[in-house]
Amino acid sequence: MKKAIVLLAMFIVASAAAQDQYTKGMQKAFQLWKAQKNVEASNLFERIATAEDDNWLPYYYIAQINTFASFGIKDEKQLEQQLGKAKEFLDIAKRLSPDNPELLVQEAMINTAWMAYDGATYGPALAIKNTQLYTKAMALAPANPRVVFSKAEWDMGSARYFGKDVTPYCQDIDKALELFATFKSDIPFYPSWGKERAEEVAAQCKTE
Amino acid sequence: MKTLVITILLCCTSFIAFGQHTINGRVTDVSNSPIVGVNVYLEGTYDGASTDDNGNFYFETTETGTQTLVLSMLSYETHYEMGDISYFKDLSITLIEAINSLAGVTLSAGTFEAGDNSKVSVLKPLDIVTTAGAAGDFVAALQTLPGTTTVSEDGRLFVRGGAAGETQIFIDGLRVFQPFNATANNIPTRGRFSPFLFKGITFSTGGYSAEYGQALSSILLLNTVDVPDQEKTDISIMSVGGGIGHTKIWDNQSLSVNTQYINLSPYEALLPSTQGVRWNRPFESIAGEAVFRSRGDKSLFKFYTNFNHSNLDIAQENINFEEFVPFRLRNNNLYLNTSFKYFFDDDWTLQTGASISWDNNDIGIFENALTTNERGNHLKVKVKKAFSNRFSLNFGSEFFHTNYGETFVDESGFNTTSDYKDNLAAGYMESDIFFSNALAMKLGVRAEHTSVIDELSISPRVSLAYKSSEKGQFSVAYGDFYQNPLNEILRFDQNLQSEKTSHYILNYQYLSNGRTFRAEAFYKDYDKLIKFNTELPQFDSQFDNTGLGYATGLDIFWRDNKSVKNLDYWFSYSYLDTERDFRNFRERATPNFAPRHNVSVVTKYWSNKLKSQIGLTYNYGSGRPFDNPNTEAFLAEKTPSFHNLSFNWAYLLDQQKILYFSINNVLGFNNINNYQYANTPNMDGFFERQAIRPPADSFFFVGFFWTISTDKKSNQLDNL
Repeated sequence: MKKAIVLLAMFIVASAAAQDQYTKGMQKAFQLWKAQKNVEASNLFERIATAEDDNWLPYYYIAQINTFASFGIKDEKQLEQQLGKAKEFLDIAKRLSPDNPELLVQEAMINTAWMAYDGATYGPALAIKNTQLYTKAMALAPANPRVVFSKAEWDMGSARYFGKDVTPYCQDIDKALELFATFKSDIPFYPSWGKERAEEVAAQCKTE
Repeated sequence: MKTLVITILLCCTSFIAFGQHTINGRVTDVSNSPIVGVNVYLEGTYDGASTDDNGNFYFETTETGTQTLVLSMLSYETHYEMGDISYFKDLSITLIEAINSLAGVTLSAGTFEAGDNSKVSVLKPLDIVTTAGAAGDFVAALQTLPGTTTVSEDGRLFVRGGAAGETQIFIDGLRVFQPFNATANNIPTRGRFSPFLFKGITFSTGGYSAEYGQALSSILLLNTVDVPDQEKTDISIMSVGGGIGHTKIWDNQSLSVNTQYINLSPYEALLPSTQGVRWNRPFESIAGEAVFRSRGDKSLFKFYTNFNHSNLDIAQENINFEEFVPFRLRNNNLYLNTSFKYFFDDDWTLQTGASISWDNNDIGIFENALTTNERGNHLKVKVKKAFSNRFSLNFGSEFFHTNYGETFVDESGFNTTSDYKDNLAAGYMESDIFFSNALAMKLGVRAEHTSVIDELSISPRVSLAYKSSEKGQFSVAYGDFYQNPLNEILRFDQNLQSEKTSHYILNYQYLSNGRTFRAEAFYKDYDKLIKFNTELPQFDSQFDNTGLGYATGLDIFWRDNKSVKNLDYWFSYSYLDTERDFRNFRERATPNFAPRHNVSVVTKYWSNKLKSQIGLTYNYGSGRPFDNPNTEAFLAEKTPSFHNLSFNWAYLLDQQKILYFSINNVLGFNNINNYQYANTPNMDGFFERQAIRPPADSFFFVGFFWTISTDKKSNQLDNL
């Protein structure tokens, strides 16, 4: 019995140490990212991801860094590599955490990066996919501010393209802002982006 | 005992805490240049670092014993070092470039692909169908690519000096036995299949893979959509008929159906065709298509079917008859195609499939009646194994059965029948070898045995590609191709051999963002072509395989959709020099279907302000040879050159409603395709002639297309 308690205690100590290592590693990765060291940050997230291997978050951040880094790339080969990497890690994250609204929003973002590069080529097929992704995310998490905001921003883009009124979507942005103020997650390092961008879009709505 | 365990554990822990190991080294590529940003780490731990600007890395770890050091970097193959941790010092590691399907060399000689993600795609499915003048017929859109020749009265594909029968069409890898609608002479046909259900089209104008056979010149591969995006209903109302399509999705299964009714009567009543034809009953057709798909974790099952009924009754001018010659046609065609794909572990893929078709024609010419029946089956098994991204093997076998019969009843009731059956078995093996990102080779061989003429043929196929610069590449290809004599010959004589061609291709391709340039030179050697001694093949003709010929030329393609905003255009030019001695030719000559110069210019402009896509297509073909019996020379004269300018306008009423308008041959050029001469001379000893012209110079089309879908966004612009 005592043996068991000792072993159990050791296990707790060991996993607490691992937890600590995870926290430190993630914090370090965010610092690197903040300092614009995208490659180093992505590499560290990748090391954390392969060491932890059942946690979707590091995979999610690898996908996100590589998606953000791809905006503005003019060379299709480089873009394919960057977004291909983003998609590869996102797919692993989706396997670890199915039906996760944050991951659906991230997938739509990868598609948007393709459309930003060449709308005529990738627009027709990917626009349909994005609409589906946002619809599904909305059904899963109607109170997630990133879902509400991303969907509204996407719908606004489509409405502008076809010369339609965007005011109904401005209301959605306002709703997203309310949700940003109250949204909380117990999971450490849970995604928290979007509020600043939503405020910018809300400001645009006022001036239009 | 307990204390001992704890002591040991404590010792170990402290040992770990104090036992810091340093890991360092330098990473370079094959040319010894440093690689920046490589992720270097011990597998399964947090310990690692990224390489700096000089390719150096350095980190410390508390791990001990045998470990795996991983070096991973985008576009390089991941490198693993295994060993005791103390050895990971002052390492010097070279990373090898990964074979990249997008950036690397591609085996593309002779091939045009239209697909969403393919690198070699020069056209997208959308382009195929928004081309002015194509009127939704994807075969007509392919006729704007180099390597094809303008034979406007036929409608089928004539590739690099080859006749229409030298091209084969496949759906999901399985042969389509009657890909084109039945029609009358000089009335162009259309493909039976709507572009609506296909996601990718590969058009090879020569030197194609050992997986395909029984085509002397060219193959066209169509792939049905694997997984539809969403449920939707498409409605079309057109000046020539109407159609409705619907896609339904349940979890991993989906079904798409599409039906279309075409009747040219209202159009002919309004704007009758006057040039050498009189419609008694204009072309009418009803067609239905369906695709069912079921997707498993590692498998994909597809079933495709197409039914088509068409009829027409026409009278056509003929110099040998005082009155117009009546021609009646009824055609029924049913095609079924099923395929199953399974992905095994370790990169093995198995694909099996079967297709079957029934085709029946009832034809009346004056009081003569002709009935034809053809049944075709195709079975195929195909296996693919990727050993690495540098070497993959593809092999398979297939079996074709053809049963063709024809009955002719003349006005006196005398009837003759002719038929044949053939069993054709084939096997092939092919490997793709990537030596590097700059050099690749495809090596294949195909063996076929055909029962009707009892012949075994072996055809080698080779292609080699070399990437000469970041955007340019050269390719060469060689292949032998065999094809059985056509139905019209085999039904009379089975004591013949296969016809044969050899292709030699040299290709240069340059791809830059949004711009494509291709130049392809080819030489084709024809051998063992069928000859006969009557005007048309008939029961008493003498047939043999003594025909031969050649075709050589240059194809140029240029496409640019970047230079001018919202404008997309492409330009094709084909130079063709060909002569052959075949059929009833009395000597070697250039056939009527092979004009020397062909040009196509296709433009598409999207206007946000007008919410419209406007397209213009221009086709030019130089004069086509014809034979004037009033002169000694054979096939020595040429028709005037061919011109056609077509225009289309798609206007978006709203996101899901489109109004579409098109005119074929806007400028009303009076094109002459050929001349028909009288069989006997007139009183002055002169053979009179008449020009063979299209039934009408121009053709108008108006349509309204409405899509109802859950996302309220998609429309049928892609399908026009």
